[in-house]
Amino acid sequence: MMKAFEFTLDNNGIATLCLDLEDSAVNILSSEVLRALDAKFNELKKAEDIRLLQITSAKEGIFIAGADIAEIEDLRDEDEAYEKVREGQKILSQISTLPFPTLAVINGACLGGGLELALCCDYRLCTENSATKIGLPEVNLGVLPGFGGTQRLKRLTGLSKALELILGGKILNGKKAEKLGVVDACVPQGYLEFKQKSFIELILSNPEKILQKRKKGSWMDRFLPQLVFSYARKNVAAKTKNKYPAPLAVLDLLEKTNSKEVQEGLEYEARAFAKLAITDISKNLIGLFYASEALKKERGVKRRVKALPIKMINVIGAGVMGSGIVFQFSKIGKLVRMKLRRYEQAAQALKTIQKVYDGIIKRHRLTPAEVNMKMGHITYTTEFDGFNNCDLALEAIIEDKKAKQELYEQLEEIMDEKAIIASNTSSLSITMLSEKMKNPERFVGMHFFNPVPRMPLVEIIPGKKTSDKSIATVVALAKEAGKTPVVVGDCAGFLVNRILLPYINEAVRMFEEGADYEKIDALILDFGMPMGPFVLADEVGLDVGYKVAKVLEDAYGERMKVSSILDRVYQQMQLLGKKSGKGFYIHSGKKRQVNSEVVGLVFSKRTFDEQEIIDRAILIMINEAAMCLQEGIVENAQYLDMAMVMGTGFPPFRGGLLRYADSIGISNIVMTLESLAKNYGIRFEPAKLLQDMAKNNKTFY
Amino acid sequence: MKERIAIIDGIRTPIAKAGGNFKDIQAERLGAHIVQELALRVGIPFEKYDEVIMGNVSQPGHAANVARVIALEAGFPDSTIAYTVHRNCASGMESITSAASKIMAGEGELFLCGGVESMSNVPLMYSDKMKELFEALFKAKSITEKLYTLTHFRPRYIKPIVGLMQGLTDPVSGLMMGSTAEVLAQDFGISRDEQDMFALESHKKAEAATKAGRFREEIAPLVYDTKSGKIMEDDDGIRFGQNMEALGKLRPFFDRKNGTVTAGNSSQISDAAAAVVLMSESKAKAMGLEPLGYLSHYAYAGLEPKRMGMGPSYATAKLFDKYKMSLKDIDLIEMNEAFAVQVLANIIAFDSKKYAKEHFGRSQALGSIDMTTLNVNGGAVALGHPVGMTGTRLVIHTLKELRRRGKHRGLATLCIGGGQGASLILEAE
Repeated sequence: MMKAFEFTLDNNGIATLCLDLEDSAVNILSSEVLRALDAKFNELKKAEDIRLLQITSAKEGIFIAGADIAEIEDLRDEDEAYEKVREGQKILSQISTLPFPTLAVINGACLGGGLELALCCDYRLCTENSATKIGLPEVNLGVLPGFGGTQRLKRLTGLSKALELILGGKILNGKKAEKLGVVDACVPQGYLEFKQKSFIELILSNPEKILQKRKKGSWMDRFLPQLVFSYARKNVAAKTKNKYPAPLAVLDLLEKTNSKEVQEGLEYEARAFAKLAITDISKNLIGLFYASEALKKERGVKRRVKALPIKMINVIGAGVMGSGIVFQFSKIGKLVRMKLRRYEQAAQALKTIQKVYDGIIKRHRLTPAEVNMKMGHITYTTEFDGFNNCDLALEAIIEDKKAKQELYEQLEEIMDEKAIIASNTSSLSITMLSEKMKNPERFVGMHFFNPVPRMPLVEIIPGKKTSDKSIATVVALAKEAGKTPVVVGDCAGFLVNRILLPYINEAVRMFEEGADYEKIDALILDFGMPMGPFVLADEVGLDVGYKVAKVLEDAYGERMKVSSILDRVYQQMQLLGKKSGKGFYIHSGKKRQVNSEVVGLVFSKRTFDEQEIIDRAILIMINEAAMCLQEGIVENAQYLDMAMVMGTGFPPFRGGLLRYADSIGISNIVMTLESLAKNYGIRFEPAKLLQDMAKNNKTFY
Repeated sequence: MKERIAIIDGIRTPIAKAGGNFKDIQAERLGAHIVQELALRVGIPFEKYDEVIMGNVSQPGHAANVARVIALEAGFPDSTIAYTVHRNCASGMESITSAASKIMAGEGELFLCGGVESMSNVPLMYSDKMKELFEALFKAKSITEKLYTLTHFRPRYIKPIVGLMQGLTDPVSGLMMGSTAEVLAQDFGISRDEQDMFALESHKKAEAATKAGRFREEIAPLVYDTKSGKIMEDDDGIRFGQNMEALGKLRPFFDRKNGTVTAGNSSQISDAAAAVVLMSESKAKAMGLEPLGYLSHYAYAGLEPKRMGMGPSYATAKLFDKYKMSLKDIDLIEMNEAFAVQVLANIIAFDSKKYAKEHFGRSQALGSIDMTTLNVNGGAVALGHPVGMTGTRLVIHTLKELRRRGKHRGLATLCIGGGQGASLILEAE
C-alpha cells in the first residue's frame, strides 16, 4: 500500500497523523488514500493511550487540495458513483466517532474533500498564511461536496453562510474562515508551533471555552429557513440563469435535509452527488478545469528560457484599453508610466482607474492606503521621458499601422535594447507591424479584452521574428497580472475575434434576411452566451466592431464579407452603439429597447426556425475554429475552448466550442454545414479538418 | 568646496493655494509624486541612489521622517536610506547643502533632494486645558469619577491652537513672522505703497512668465483629484491683472492700527513639492550627463530673530567674504519674497556702506542690486511660499533662468524664520 501519512504518538498522549502523500507535491483524497486512512482510523478506535489526535500536513502550503478529480471524471454510472462517495463518507465519519478529541491543523490549501475531512474533526485551527485557502469549490466542477460538506458546514456557520459558500464555491482565507466559524481559531503562521500547543491544552482542559464561541446561525437561519432558501434560489437564478444543475441540487438537498441528522443527511448528499457526477455538464466543467490548469503551467515556449523580470511598464495610449491595462499592472504593484498626447488625458485615465479601485475597496479586497500607494505608482508624461529604464512598453493606441510603426521607431530609440515592446492590437498582424523595427525579436502582441479588469483572457501573439524570451516574458507577466495567457498565431483577428466576428456577421445577415434580431439575441442568450450578438455589438461599439470586421474581410475575403446592414448602420446612420446611446438598441441607463430605425432598414420579414438560427450562428464559429486548428493558430482544442470561454463568455457548461461540437457530432456538423453552404454560400463550406474528422469518425476530445 | 556639485535636473509640482486644489493631498504624497517623476525623468535606476533627503517644516504627525515615507512611496527600494531636514524656510536648501557636504565627505555619490510642504494639512491642536481634561478622563476609574471630571469642562477649552500660526511665530521673540516684517518696515522706513508696488510687480512678472510657459519648464503636472479627474499644470496663486487698488483695499494683518504688511504684500500660504538630483561634477562627467547646473558655494548666517528678514544680507555677506566674491560676479538673483518689505529692506541694506560696516564689519557695501536681475519671474508674493519647498524651487528656477538667459552665475537667497539666512551660488555651466 502507498504511504499517505506518518503517524506518531508522544509521551503526553498527543497523536499526530501527518499527511504526506509519497511521490506527490500535494495531498489529495484519492480512493487509495481514503483506504489507507480507513485502516488507520479502525486501528485508532481501540487505542487507549491517546488523549488527542491532531491531523496535520507535511506539504508546503497544502493541507489537502481536495478529492481526486480524475476519479470524479471517470464516474459514468450513478449507482457506482453513489457507492463510491458513500464509502468516502463512512471513512471520514469515523473521525467523529473516535474516542478522543480530534483537531485539524490547517496551514495551507484545504479545499473540497480536504475541508470535509477537517469538518469531521472536533476542532479546527488554521493559519493566516496566504497559502491557507479554505472552501468547498465543488459546484465549479458541476458537482456538490459529497463527503459530508453540505451537512456539516452549516452546523458551524449557519445555513445562509453555508449556502453562500457552497453555491458560490467560495474560497476563504484563514481570518475570514475564523470569522464565519468554519475554523475555531486562526493564528499567524509564525506563532503556529506554540499556539498549536496551547490550543491542544485548551481542548484537553476547557473545551467549553472553544465551543461557546461557535456560531449558532442567524435568527433567519433558525426560524425562517424557507426565506433563506427562496433568497438563495433567486440569487442562483440571476447568476446562472439556472443553466447549471449543481447549485440547484445543493439548494434542493439542503432544503430537504434541513432538519435531518447528519448521518441521514449524508445519504441524501451521496444520492445528489451521484446524480450530478455523471452529467455531461460536470464532465465539461472538469474538462475546462484541466484546460485552465494546463494553461497555468504553459510558459508559451517549448525551449527553456527565463522570462525577464518586469518592474516598470510604459503604457502608450490612455483610452479604454490603455486605462484598463494601466490598472491591471498597477494592481500587481508595477510602476506604470503612461504616455499621453495631453495631460488632461491622465486625469481622465486616473479617474477611470480610481473607479475600479473604489469597487475593490468596497469589496474589502484592498485597503484605501494600499490603493493610494498603487495609484501613486502610476505616472504620466506627454514626452517619452522616463522610458529608458522601463522593462516593457505596451502600445494601446489607435488601430493604425503607420501610427503604430512610427511609435515603435521612437520607442526603439529611447528604450533599453533588452526591453520588450508589446502591442495590444486586436487585429493587425504582428509580423507586419514589426517590419520596420531594428529588433523585431523584442516585439510581441499582447491582446487584452475589454473590459480589461474583468476579462481573464490575454492573447499572446508572436510575430515571425519574435524571440522566445519575449514570448516567455509576456506570458509570465500576464499570469502575474492574474490573467490567463493563450499563445495564438499571427493571423488577422488572431484567435478569438477571428472566430467571434463571423458569428456576429452571420447574426446580422439573418436580420438582413428578415429575422427579428431581438429574438436572435434571446435565443443566443438562452443558448448560454452572456449576451446576444446584437447587444454585444452595441456594447463593443459599432465603430470598433466595424473596423475589425473590415480588417477580417480584407484578410479572408468572401468568407467574412461584412454585411451591408452593418455598413448602413455604422457608415450612413453613424450609430456607435451603447457609448452614443444608440445602435441596434436604444440604451438608456441599464434599460434598452429595439431601435426601430434599424429595424426599418429591412422591409421583408420572415420567420426563422429556431434551430436554424442557432446552427447558423454557432456552426459558423465551429467551422472557423476548426480552420484555426488546422492552420495551427492555437496549440490544441483544449486551449481554443478555454480562450473562447474566457474571451467571449462561451457557456462553460457546454465545455467550450469544440467540446460542444463533439457533443452534436462532427458528421452532423459537416452535413448541416454542407446544406447551409448550398443555401447561403461558401462561407459555410466545412473546413478540411472537419471533413477529415467526419470521415474518420474522430472527435476533438 | 573642493569641487562643484552637479544638479542633474530638477522639477516641482505646481504651487497650489492652501486649502485649495491640494488640500486633500498629504505632504508625503506630494513629495512622492515629484520625487518619483524626477527619478524617472533623470533615468538613473532607483537602486543606484545613495540617499533621499527632504526638507519639510511642519513635519506631519502621521508620517514622521517624511523623507523616508516619500522615498518608499516613490518606488525606491527598502534599502534606500532617507532623512528629513529642518531649517525652517530654508529646509528645501538644507536638503541640497546637506547632500553637498555628504558628497564632499565621501558619504555617498548620488542623492535625491528636495523640499515639500502641505500647509493645508498642518493640524489644529487642542489647548493645554483640553489636554489636561483628557488626561484626567483617562485616569478616572469609575463612571461617576468620569462624569465629575467632565464638569470641569469649559467651552473655551475647545478653541484650537492653529498649528500653522504657531509654526509661523518666532518662539524666542514671540513675534509672528509678519510682525518681524513690520519691524523692518520701521527700521528702513518703507511705506505701504512701496510694498504694494513691489507686490504688484511680483504678480505682473509671474503672470508674464506663466503666459510665456516659463514655469511649465520646471513643473510636473499633478492629477490632484482622481474622483472627478482633475489635473493641475500651473501655479494658482498668481493674480492675473492685479492692481494697486485691489492691493490697497487689504487691511494690515499683523498691526491693525499702524501696520503696513498685508496679505497682499506677503507671501502666500501654499502646498507644493520640489526635487533635484545631485552628484559631484566629476561623477556627472564620468557618467556623460549634462547637468542643469552646479552648486559652487553656500553659506548660512545667523541674526537677531526679530529681524530674521535680513537673513539674505547676512548670509550673502558671509558668503562673499569667505569666497572673495562680489555682486559683480552675479548675473541673476532669486531672493525669496517672504514679505515685500523684507526684500525691499535687503535691497537697501545690500547697497548701504553703513549697514555693511555696522553688521558685517565690512568697509564696502555688498553692492547695488540691478533690479532687472532680481526675481525676474516674480516670487513668493505671487507664487506662494510652501515653506519647506521654496528653497529647492529657488535653486531650480535660478538655474533654469540662467540657462534661458545664457548667463553664468546666480545667487539664490532667503530669509529664515528664527533668525537665519541662506545664500547659494549656482552656476549654469
